[in-house]
Amino acid sequence: MPSPRWNKVLRDVWLHKPRTVLVVLAIAIGITGAGSVLNTWSLLRRVTREEFRASNPPSATFRTDSVDDALIARVRALPAVGDAQARRTVIAAVRTANGPRTAVLFVAGDPANIRIGIVHPEAGVWPPADGQIAVERSSVEFASVTLGDSLEVQLRDAGPEPLKVTGIARDVGLAPGWMEHVVYGFVSRGTLARLGAPSSLNELQVVVRDRSLDQAAVRRVADDVKRVVESTGRRVADVNVPVPGRHIHAAQIDSLLFTQGAFGVLALLLSGFLVVNLIGAMLAGQVREIGVMKAVGARGAQIAGMYLGLALVLGLVASAVALPAAAAIGLAYAQFTASVLNFDVTGFTIPPGIIALQLVVGILMPVVAAAVPVLRGCRISVSEALRDSGIGRSSGSTGFLLGRASGVTRPLLLSLRNAFRRRQRMALTLLALATGGAVYLGAINLRASVVRSVDLIFDSQHYDIVLRFGRSWPADSLESALASVPGVARAEAWSAGRAAVSRPDGTMGNTFSVVAPPLPSRALALAVESGRWLTAGDTNALVVNRPLMKDDPDLKTGRDVTLIIAGRPTRWTVVGVVQSGPTPSAWVPREALARILGGGRFDRAVVARAPGGPASTLEIVQRVRAEMARRGIDVESSDLLSENRRVIEDHLLMVAGFLGVMSQLMIVVGGLGLAATMSLSVLERTREIGVMRAIGAQHHAILAMVQVEGLVIAVASWAIAIPLSVPMSVVLGRAFGRVMIPVPVTLLPEPGGVLRWLAVVVVVSVAGCAWPAFRAMRVTTSAALAYE
Amino acid sequence: MNLNTEMRPVISMRGVTKTYRGAVEPFTALADVSLTITRGEFVVVVGQSGSGKSTLLGLLSGIDRPTRGEVIVDGTAVHALPERAISAWRGRAVGIVFQFFQLLPTLTAAENVMLPMDFCGMWPPRERRERAVTLLERLGVADQVDKLPASLSGGQQQRVAVARALANSPALLLADEPTGNLDSRTSAAMLELLAGLVQDGSLQTLVMVTHERGAQRFASRTVTLEDGRIVPAAAAGNA
Repeated sequence: MPSPRWNKVLRDVWLHKPRTVLVVLAIAIGITGAGSVLNTWSLLRRVTREEFRASNPPSATFRTDSVDDALIARVRALPAVGDAQARRTVIAAVRTANGPRTAVLFVAGDPANIRIGIVHPEAGVWPPADGQIAVERSSVEFASVTLGDSLEVQLRDAGPEPLKVTGIARDVGLAPGWMEHVVYGFVSRGTLARLGAPSSLNELQVVVRDRSLDQAAVRRVADDVKRVVESTGRRVADVNVPVPGRHIHAAQIDSLLFTQGAFGVLALLLSGFLVVNLIGAMLAGQVREIGVMKAVGARGAQIAGMYLGLALVLGLVASAVALPAAAAIGLAYAQFTASVLNFDVTGFTIPPGIIALQLVVGILMPVVAAAVPVLRGCRISVSEALRDSGIGRSSGSTGFLLGRASGVTRPLLLSLRNAFRRRQRMALTLLALATGGAVYLGAINLRASVVRSVDLIFDSQHYDIVLRFGRSWPADSLESALASVPGVARAEAWSAGRAAVSRPDGTMGNTFSVVAPPLPSRALALAVESGRWLTAGDTNALVVNRPLMKDDPDLKTGRDVTLIIAGRPTRWTVVGVVQSGPTPSAWVPREALARILGGGRFDRAVVARAPGGPASTLEIVQRVRAEMARRGIDVESSDLLSENRRVIEDHLLMVAGFLGVMSQLMIVVGGLGLAATMSLSVLERTREIGVMRAIGAQHHAILAMVQVEGLVIAVASWAIAIPLSVPMSVVLGRAFGRVMIPVPVTLLPEPGGVLRWLAVVVVVSVAGCAWPAFRAMRVTTSAALAYE
Repeated sequence: MNLNTEMRPVISMRGVTKTYRGAVEPFTALADVSLTITRGEFVVVVGQSGSGKSTLLGLLSGIDRPTRGEVIVDGTAVHALPERAISAWRGRAVGIVFQFFQLLPTLTAAENVMLPMDFCGMWPPRERRERAVTLLERLGVADQVDKLPASLSGGQQQRVAVARALANSPALLLADEPTGNLDSRTSAAMLELLAGLVQDGSLQTLVMVTHERGAQRFASRTVTLEDGRIVPAAAAGNA
């Protein structure tokens, strides 16, 4: 039989069921929120690392003339090389229900035995036979295809070839197709021949024997491999050595995991505030009883033990509810995020340590949150406790000042004073809501900053279409042919290629794209961060962007560097750093690059459509293709700049979007805090409400009193969130800049965002106060005056 | 009967002054009060509102601390007890009966009586309920043992409160207006009950603050307070 003191604890819990349920709910919400995020985080972390590692990603990839079994055998014989295999990658165009798309087709030497960059067949047939295509899972929706459909694939000016979609496969090493706006497909060498491309393989994928090597060490191994390839008389066009074990989208995954973790902690803190408020209110109603217990011999520690024990039990009950919910939500969210990032959580479970951590936090959080109000409540002297007459505290100077404000009606004044009556409770409620609001505004600011950054990048690109040709052509031929197309305002022939930095230690950096516009160019003038843009008369000037500088820190303004282009070392001087997208890129004078690539001919052109013309960009693409075909110029691919912009935005705004979702969740937690505060306020003032009823207050007056009180807190949190959003924007902007691309930090909140936040907080307040207001309206005079 | 024990002072107050810090100026509730009460006495403390009666009880129970002077109860210097020790001492040495009963609403009558035993670790846990029931029987509320306070009458609640005050067999029972919230018939019964407890030895010493006119006839001594000072017996009799 439990002792009387524990009987008291249990019966108090039962007697104040609504309050108990609120406390359990607050803890459960906090644990569910934080637990879901933690579960998602742990699952994603494990899945992305383990699945990527299990795919045996290449340590280095070489593009060369052709790769045969003899070369593979020679490379495998190198002591530092673990394995090697060959494949070919081909860029093509596909016609989908949503219009033309760029396709990247992979052809493996032995598709039934891919050992490096393992491809998982997910549905249908593997490997695809001649005339068939297996579409990569992350591209299926973008390509609008299902198994059994026919997909028209076209290489350069060869006729479109219908390929039957017979399989869906997954390659975790690829950046998701939906995000890249690319259709990835796997085809046979026979299919490649049908499409009109050489069926030989030209990529060599290598894994090092020692997987613990860092990037520099792998680069040295890659250099040995390169020498072996070159010793056979082959030319190595480029070498790509990724950071070992790091997924191509690791930055996005990391930032997602980081923000998830940070928001999990924040959600826990907010629910901690809620618990502090609720336990504080619970103790406020027990002051007299604490006094009586002390009077009959209870020591402070015994009373503290009772209430902390109660908090512990409530934490246990809340954890019993929250842990399964957090596991289910975490798994579902991890499944969703993993599928977005092209991973699969099937077969992965939440680590037991993570579950145990949630249980410990679930039990301890209410105890810690309750500790301050419990210790304060238990320190109260018997005489003070026995004198306690419940709520009756004044709103202090704030209420006094409010009382002096002119034009404030009595009922409104009452609501205003009520809001300031329990200052600590109000402060915590305000803090919770305002934090949610600050993140909300910060996410809006970040989104605006990202869009502005993308605007800045694309404002400097005065063209709409990028054309790639199968062969090189004289600039005049290309430019005059394109200018003759109705709807085209101007066109420029460009040169482009791939380059890699030749380092002093003899190794090569990763390859990056080099774009070469004519000088001066009317189509391109990128925003300069430092140094200058290319000018007419430049011969060996090189302009780089920040992501390239991040990869190769030696590329600073004023430095002379050696770039390997088309297998030849060439000297350049870095003259400036520009703002562009997240992909490492460089720009050089057109003629300089054309000379290196041979013949002063060009295989690329950009086209600007006439402003205000009736034809859409897609129509102009069709006209251009038709005109080029008429002149015998083979267009390999055509990309819309707007599409490129969407690709970049999809990459960058994903994080901002996630922040937005998290801020909404935090506002929901803040709203629950407000609802809890108002419920307690009504519970504590039941007698007062009864008195108001006795002196003539009607339903609408009681309703208005509660709702206005909630609105006062809501509007105050709205106002506090605005300055709070400034440091939040700085933190988010800087964190985003570190992981993705630097964005101009927007300090002042967007006016539209501020108004939206006001609307959100008003809705949250009205919704959060609805139940407490309804409860207050149902209070009868007799019941209220009998209430203890 | 051991005369030495009987005559030993249970309460010894010497030069006790209690001053409260008021909002405007300090207020002296008790001024230089000295009082000795021996075992077996039933002392009634009377006086006007604000004369210092409740302050006196507060100081005797350790609920309040004197500004100056000594309060010794059953050999313990209450004024010098550290805060952390005072609750445990009070639970064992003093029983308190309040005007508004102050029973815990979620505990039954028996559980309310068992609570001081629980907090002070008095009596083996298995025997506590039996003792509580015995006390409630002696106080005439045996049939209310498992009822919650809300279902008891005022008189019954006060009897349960007395039983709770006696739970740990304290040397001293302090009662603050125990009849203040009862009707006249119930009040008289309560006074008779308390006097009977002193007489039959269930209660060693009783100090009761009251406004009840008839209370003095049950008491062995009356102490009159006026403006924080004890009025000499002769003067009180004249008043």
